Amino acid sequence: MNVIEIKNLTKSYGKARGITDVSFNVEKGEIFGFIGPNGAGKSTTIRTILSLIYPTSGSATIFGKDCIEFGPDIRKEIGYLPSEIFYYDNMKVIDLLKYSASFYKKDCSKRITELAQIMDLDLNKKIDDLSFGNKKKVGIVQGLLHSPKLIILDEPTSGLDPLMQQKFFELLEEENKKGATILLSSHILSEVQRLCTRVAIIKEGKIIKLDKISTLQENNHKKFKIEMKLKIDENYFNFSGVTNLEIKGNIINFLFSGNINFIMKKISEIEIENLWIEEPDLEEIFMHYYEKED
Amino acid sequence: MNMFLHELKAYRKSTIIWTCSLIALVVIFLSMFPAFSKEATAFKEIMKGFPEPVRKALGLSVDSMSSILGFYSYMFLYTTLCGAIQAMNLGTSIISKEVRGKTADFLLTRPVTRGAVMTSKLMAALTCLVITNVIYLASSSIMASFVATEKYSYKLFFMISITLFFVQLMFFSLGIIISVLVPKIKSVLPISLGTVFAFFIIGMFVATTGDDAMRYITPFKYFDTNYILKNSSYEISFIITEIGFIITTITASYFVYYKKDVHFA
Repeated sequence: MNVIEIKNLTKSYGKARGITDVSFNVEKGEIFGFIGPNGAGKSTTIRTILSLIYPTSGSATIFGKDCIEFGPDIRKEIGYLPSEIFYYDNMKVIDLLKYSASFYKKDCSKRITELAQIMDLDLNKKIDDLSFGNKKKVGIVQGLLHSPKLIILDEPTSGLDPLMQQKFFELLEEENKKGATILLSSHILSEVQRLCTRVAIIKEGKIIKLDKISTLQENNHKKFKIEMKLKIDENYFNFSGVTNLEIKGNIINFLFSGNINFIMKKISEIEIENLWIEEPDLEEIFMHYYEKED
Repeated sequence: MNMFLHELKAYRKSTIIWTCSLIALVVIFLSMFPAFSKEATAFKEIMKGFPEPVRKALGLSVDSMSSILGFYSYMFLYTTLCGAIQAMNLGTSIISKEVRGKTADFLLTRPVTRGAVMTSKLMAALTCLVITNVIYLASSSIMASFVATEKYSYKLFFMISITLFFVQLMFFSLGIIISVLVPKIKSVLPISLGTVFAFFIIGMFVATTGDDAMRYITPFKYFDTNYILKNSSYEISFIITEIGFIITTITASYFVYYKKDVHFA
């Protein structure tokens, strides 16, 4: 079952950025990564499915219901953490959280204390006085306090220290185990790699790749590093399937996707000093998709 | 209800401040009345020395100034000016403050319709205006009864005082439509002060021309205190215009707010 279904979603802002023909599904119980650089359209997509902004064309459903028509209904089960943190003037953390909880017809006070404890958040401070990272924590608790079935996170970790990030990820994994579906938008690839099962890559408003993280990582690419005995022709490795080719003296780096036998034969034909073959991390794959499109 | 209470709390401080200012205004003005009425004839002479357009612009009416109601209706112009700023501030800020504080994202991702958000905000702001008016009315009534030298019609006093609320309603709805139409309002005060003073100055000009049609332009001239004192009633055409204006702007505001894209601040 799909929790989120996005069909040909387009939002144009005149000439400026926007999204074009974005389609993807998020299945129940998965952690779905949504990556792309700043301004690629991640937030626009998220804001559209939350009906904060209205699409120019296309549609999206959440829990099988149209996200505009049934917006208020759907949002009962959504927890949203925006990339920019809000605050009401002069409000204490606990007041904001209580206010947030008052929108849901359940008792959330226990969960609030629990979450605040995990995230090490002082509930009695004024939000105005909090640091950026602590405000982010308020956002996290606010997004999770009503135990939503769908958690939408827009660049959630900026401002959190590594320890807190770790705790936050554990929290998300726990929610996921309890059955929550998570849509995680980010430009930090390691966190997507750490948490997500599938990932969509967006660039300049278009989805350019949608795959399982494992597929992206394993099947498609290998990272080669070859140390040569002798200098060879610069173009020796310049054939289809090879990307990010870099030659620094005797060291050659590149990513390869395709028939592994072919590349092995190629390598066997030359004298080499040393050879490393590794799984590339997401960052390298990601850069690769970007460069290819330019 | 939770949103209504939250909003009410948010405006608590400003409502108290505005109400106190209005009370201070009426107390100071009316406390001058005993001295004024004692020397009424002398003041009348001085006022007659002013050119007529100036008297009209300032709302000075020589004959009625010596009665408490006449004196009150003169100062009341400044009460409405003050009240108009309060109402316009409220109207302009209820939607725009969510954009400024980046709280629109928070509020509109809760399981509520935008209509419900708007209604709660409107009701909370209206409650503040009503509270202001009730307290103002009570304190001005007490003050008037203190300083009055002769009997006066409380009905007329009430009729004049309550127009504060009517004028406020117009500026309030004007503020709301501005706050949904302008994408981002960085600061409320320049907009509300600018608009209110512009209408106030237009009102002064209108008074000097005496052109009745021109009075429809500025809310400050919808309720002519001299007319109320003379006829014990309001001018029906202005009442209808006001109701029409309020219904149009509020409906339009709901409509625009429903269709609006909520962007990052």
